[in-house]
Amino acid sequence: MENLHFFGAALGLGMIVIGAALGIGRFASAAAEGIARQPSAAAQITAAVNLPLFLLEGVAILAEVFVLLIVLLK
Amino acid sequence: MFQPHGAETAAHGGEHAAEAAHEGFNAGETIIEHVSNSPIDHPLIHLPTLVGIDFSVTKHVLMLWLVAAFVFATVTWIVRRHLAAGRPVPSGAMNGLEFVVEFVRDSIVLPNVGKKWVHAWTPLMLTFFVFILCANAIGLIPVFDVLGLLNHWVIHPDHESFLGSVTHGGTTATANFNVTAALATITFGSIIVAGTRAHGFIQHWKNLVPHGLAWPIYILLIPIEIMGLFVKPFALTMRLAANMTGGHIAILAILSFVFLFTEMFGQAAAGIGVGLAVSVPLAVGISALEIIVVLVQAYVFTLLTAVFIGMAIHVHH
Repeated sequence: MENLHFFGAALGLGMIVIGAALGIGRFASAAAEGIARQPSAAAQITAAVNLPLFLLEGVAILAEVFVLLIVLLK
Repeated sequence: MFQPHGAETAAHGGEHAAEAAHEGFNAGETIIEHVSNSPIDHPLIHLPTLVGIDFSVTKHVLMLWLVAAFVFATVTWIVRRHLAAGRPVPSGAMNGLEFVVEFVRDSIVLPNVGKKWVHAWTPLMLTFFVFILCANAIGLIPVFDVLGLLNHWVIHPDHESFLGSVTHGGTTATANFNVTAALATITFGSIIVAGTRAHGFIQHWKNLVPHGLAWPIYILLIPIEIMGLFVKPFALTMRLAANMTGGHIAILAILSFVFLFTEMFGQAAAGIGVGLAVSVPLAVGISALEIIVVLVQAYVFTLLTAVFIGMAIHVHH
């Protein structure tokens, strides 16, 4: 029972990956669909997708840092 | 009843850890030692404590100074050489520098900050971009590790000396949370300065929340907006530092398979085999990914700073 925090950290890490992958997957599919419909707007679509993508990545990274803190600081 | 048991386990654990440190290869400790700053009681250069702050130079501070000196010297040299040549058309390295400047101005600052303020904020963004890019990239070049090999085979200095500690392995300055927190603090300040210059001091703080709503909403909205004020630089800090640390940890973890497998099978051939078959190709792949991450993270930090400054200037409520 002493090492239960490892269990929680591993579970949390997996859930972060699921969430981030779902988010990035939706971004990629929406961007690809948009570009397929309107190839001339590819640059604008990429620019519009960039910012929320980085915000999403930031949330995932933050969660991973907290998981690391659970393991290191207990 | 539990206390003796816990104490016994702790003693056993400590004994075990000490044993492992003496005999075996501890992957976690080695990796953490490589990515973390040098401990404050063993700095590279001892400096006196002023006003309660220890000014001793550690690994990350040294890297920070090296990067700053490198950026300053290179950019100054390129621009001076171009000016001295007296030609209107740039050549050589000046071409690359102008490409970077135009990229930052036209595709990062201009779309977010707007035409009116672009010349006010481009210098700050350029400083962010070039500095973070160089700090990230120099951390990726294993120059200090090569020096460490030289140190191990050729020079043999004392471990406590300056050379002995400096060749202990290079690090990325931007992988330290304190460095990125300082950069994000500049962002935090510049958001306030941008809003103040565009709307006046009082109006900038009023702009944080939209006006003309029913009063119960403000009770909810004002704390959220104040929290958002601090979350922005905090997220910038964590994103840059965690990305830089994460890549290095991944490379080192994969390379440490060599030593783990050598230990597991008790012969060097197993480790070398795993190294050639798995570790080195994977590490090369991740290093290639890291080159992209280095560029993207410098871009993201600059872009988000520009977006936040733009948000303070163009209030959308």
